[in-house]
Amino acid sequence: MTDPSEVRWLRPSPLLLRVRRIEVTCATVPLAIAGALVGRLASAATGIGIAVAVVLAGVLAERFLARRVAAWGYAERRDDLMVRRGVLIRRLSVIPYGRMQFIDVTAGPLERSLGLATLRMHTAAAASDARIPGLESAAAAELRDQLAALGETQAAGL
Amino acid sequence: MTSPFPNEAPADDTSLSSRPGRPAQLLGDGSWHRLHPLSPFVRAGRQFMSLTIVLIGISALNQRPARGEIVTDLAVLGVVLVAGFISWLVTRWQIAGGVLRVDTGLIRRDSRRIPLSQVQAVDVVQSGLARILGLAELQLRVAGGDSSRSGRLACLRRADAEALRLHLLALAGASMVPVPAGSQSRQLFRVRPRRLFGAVLLTRSGATALVVAVATGLTVQLSGSAKTVAPFLPVALGVVLALWRQFNGEYGTTVVAARDGIGLRSGLIQTTAETIRPGRIQAVRLVEPLIWRAFGWCRLEVDVAGSRERRENPSEGRRQRALIPVGSRAEAESMLAELMPGHPLPVRPAPPRARWKAPLSYHFLAWGGDDRYVVASRGRVCRQTTWVPLQKVQSIRWVEGPLQRRLSLATVHLDAAGKRVSASIQDRDSAEALEILGDLPDLARAARSQGAQQAAGGAA
Repeated sequence: MTDPSEVRWLRPSPLLLRVRRIEVTCATVPLAIAGALVGRLASAATGIGIAVAVVLAGVLAERFLARRVAAWGYAERRDDLMVRRGVLIRRLSVIPYGRMQFIDVTAGPLERSLGLATLRMHTAAAASDARIPGLESAAAAELRDQLAALGETQAAGL
Repeated sequence: MTSPFPNEAPADDTSLSSRPGRPAQLLGDGSWHRLHPLSPFVRAGRQFMSLTIVLIGISALNQRPARGEIVTDLAVLGVVLVAGFISWLVTRWQIAGGVLRVDTGLIRRDSRRIPLSQVQAVDVVQSGLARILGLAELQLRVAGGDSSRSGRLACLRRADAEALRLHLLALAGASMVPVPAGSQSRQLFRVRPRRLFGAVLLTRSGATALVVAVATGLTVQLSGSAKTVAPFLPVALGVVLALWRQFNGEYGTTVVAARDGIGLRSGLIQTTAETIRPGRIQAVRLVEPLIWRAFGWCRLEVDVAGSRERRENPSEGRRQRALIPVGSRAEAESMLAELMPGHPLPVRPAPPRARWKAPLSYHFLAWGGDDRYVVASRGRVCRQTTWVPLQKVQSIRWVEGPLQRRLSLATVHLDAAGKRVSASIQDRDSAEALEILGDLPDLARAARSQGAQQAAGGAA
């Protein structure tokens, strides 16, 4: 019997938080400027108020995303991979290596510029959701090959 | 089992075989075959009929059909005929080395290879038009849920389709010997037409029909003129069509246990025959809607990996898999015993505080399990009980929402292959959920390796 609470969790790279921060900034700053410009039509105070509110919302989102990034974790066990995530709704998935159908490694432009990648595992079930964001590219490639090899040795028919 | 495939053209290609009376054993020799010449019309089916109706309608509406318009109609008809002929001409299929290959397309060639060892099920489908012409369509279901990977041979002659189906099934599972239809098969269930009619009326679409009928009646009554019915007509037509489709699809559902699996036949106008191979069932679901429970009726559905290619009517594929469209509890029980011998029952109810999180579905929340199956029931007004063989579990998910955390509850989902095929053990005590999450992966692995051993033993 294995107890999921006694698992050594591996975490995504701390750079993932930077990716999320850049994303939030990219969303907040233009929105704040646009809000200020629109609000200025009414009065200068309204414009400043809207801008401050948007920036505050951005800061809150940043705090929330920091917690979310901290909540991501994955663990390679002997026969399966465990992925956990989520702050408000906490999720934990267990995917046996033998059930993996294929593995995707993707990287958006921002992730790529920081040398990160997202790994995603697919099984025959559409609901299985196992995504590990913010892995360093080399680590992601290594993990992919390792998982593929494990999947091969433990593969089971449908 | 003679299987002539006389549908090939006298050959621009030397490998095209066209001699009639070829035995089915020679189908795997790698020679190319063509479909039945009439198949484009059957495939076009509804579109072709609606086109004809539109053409007739247009010419009927024109009071004085000018000669030019008749020429236009004939030209359209000619283009359709030529397109059909070309599509027939460029479509060929072949079985070689355990792979079914279907080549089609004139400008954009499409060559599809289906490894027969991956085939989950082979179905024979006949639309109404195909039945009139004595044709049938073969559908091969491949795991993965992606329709681009499933195969379709439309259409062959009925007898050829049956023979080819047995042949493909034999190739798909090396240990399976094709058995002639009728031998050693035992009927498990046959739906009663009258009960099916009543049950279809008592579903959600039936309720919609009632609402539409009442609304129409009221409008006519209040306005006092029959003309006000007009806006309701499209809705009414849609509702009637939905009811008809369900009735048509599930009419005469017959389930037999044969040596090559469980045979399922159904349909009033369009008939479908499919075989579910042993060990291919991903999940079994028992559905008990509110009104049906009053009559003691229920519905038993099975999930089989693989998608049917059916662009014309995607909802039908899902519905066709009801082994029991409507039946009594006793019938469902005996069918379950056949599909999953020794299945457990959902005997462990959710803790009472789950009532705060799920007030409407609390009374149905329960689960049970042994070392082979897990069963979980849930649902608000319609009770759904899902059995999943541990051997088929693809992944296990543990989810805890904010409200659940406050009540220290959690849900564990067991996913089987397919879209939205899972047994959800909903709202358990946190400690119990963690225990389930800790135990199930090991149990599932044990079940998998046992299944693999059995398969190896069976093949040897």
